Amino acid sequence: MKREEFLSTPVTHMKIKQDMTVDQLVQQFKNSGSFGAGRLATACDVYENMVRDDKCTLFLALAGAMVPAGLRTTISDLIRKRLIDALVSTGANMVHDLIEALGGQHYQGHWHVDDYLLYKYHIYRIYDVFVPEEDFIKADETLVKMFDEISEKTEGKRVSTNELMWEVGKRLKDTDSIVRSAYEAKVPIFLPAMRDSEFAYIHTVHQTRSNPRKALLVDAFKEVPELLDIAGRSERLGMVVLGGGVPRNSVQHAALMTGKGLDYAVVITTDRPEPGGLSGSTIEETISWGKVKHKANKVMVIGDALIAFPMMVASVMERLGPNFRRKGNP
Amino acid sequence: MKLEEVLELSRKTGQMRKVCGNCRYHNTYKYPDQVFCFARFSHRENPVVSVWFDHCNEWESKLQECFCLEDSLKKRGKRTK
Repeated sequence: MKREEFLSTPVTHMKIKQDMTVDQLVQQFKNSGSFGAGRLATACDVYENMVRDDKCTLFLALAGAMVPAGLRTTISDLIRKRLIDALVSTGANMVHDLIEALGGQHYQGHWHVDDYLLYKYHIYRIYDVFVPEEDFIKADETLVKMFDEISEKTEGKRVSTNELMWEVGKRLKDTDSIVRSAYEAKVPIFLPAMRDSEFAYIHTVHQTRSNPRKALLVDAFKEVPELLDIAGRSERLGMVVLGGGVPRNSVQHAALMTGKGLDYAVVITTDRPEPGGLSGSTIEETISWGKVKHKANKVMVIGDALIAFPMMVASVMERLGPNFRRKGNP
Repeated sequence: MKLEEVLELSRKTGQMRKVCGNCRYHNTYKYPDQVFCFARFSHRENPVVSVWFDHCNEWESKLQECFCLEDSLKKRGKRTK
């Protein structure tokens, strides 16, 4: 590379105006092209490219307490608009969706609080979000009864996490619910670490209430061929990752196992690569495994997903316009 | 008010000391008056009971740290005034 090529694109200073739209602000980020602003602007371009690519199947991988903190409706809307084709999530995020679907709430709290006092009041803390214990318990109660009902229906047949989520979604009325929206839009929800959440407790209680032979059988491996089938039938693959963890790697692994590799990747995380954990691993590192293609349209945004993701979605939706329709893949 | 005093008061009001609101497994259902008992739920009995309810032989007489009984008692006091 020649010296002048290093100096080909000057930083253009951001011009902030009254009444500017989200996408106009993102364009100013792009003009800067630097630091987090530059990366977020690139993420918007990558996500737009994914959405506009008719042959791309778009996975959203969700980890961290995104639903309790306020992304529930955003994700539900993306499902209904088919701006994602499959959701791979922690179990906990879906539990928190169900807490609200069944009448509970999350509350704005504070990180600087007496946690022992919260304990004495039966209030749980997720950084600066509070959840009353009774909202968990009421959701548990309803979900145990749903599990009882679903196990009667499935009669000992093994179900995947997606099959279970659609069965649950079928029984919900709340149209803002992610699980309900996914059921209606036939967007699969995979929960590769489902038992690492309140679902484990719900299932245990369901099991103790049931004849052991009739207890619901959720097969953690059954979703693997389902994921592979989706990836296998897709011409191109894209992922948007919030956080990382097991959901991120489940998508990447499907891309690897089908021998395809991801064509598009946006990863929004605050994690660091040095400790070797997956959430902080760079996309470049992922290329070494064959999970993401060398020439993929990709970017990693180091930042709070609760800020970056809604901005990215708002910016891209603005670009797409109100009449844009996506049929969904594969 | 300390929990011991609350329990002493609860004895004076005719309630037993071995109550669901002082079981270490209790979960609040409608704070502070009602708790959800998963033991009862597991046996398909009505799981929602008063914090003052006593039903369980496996109850341990270790005082709990939460405010359920104390706040329930305060609420009762307000109601009677």
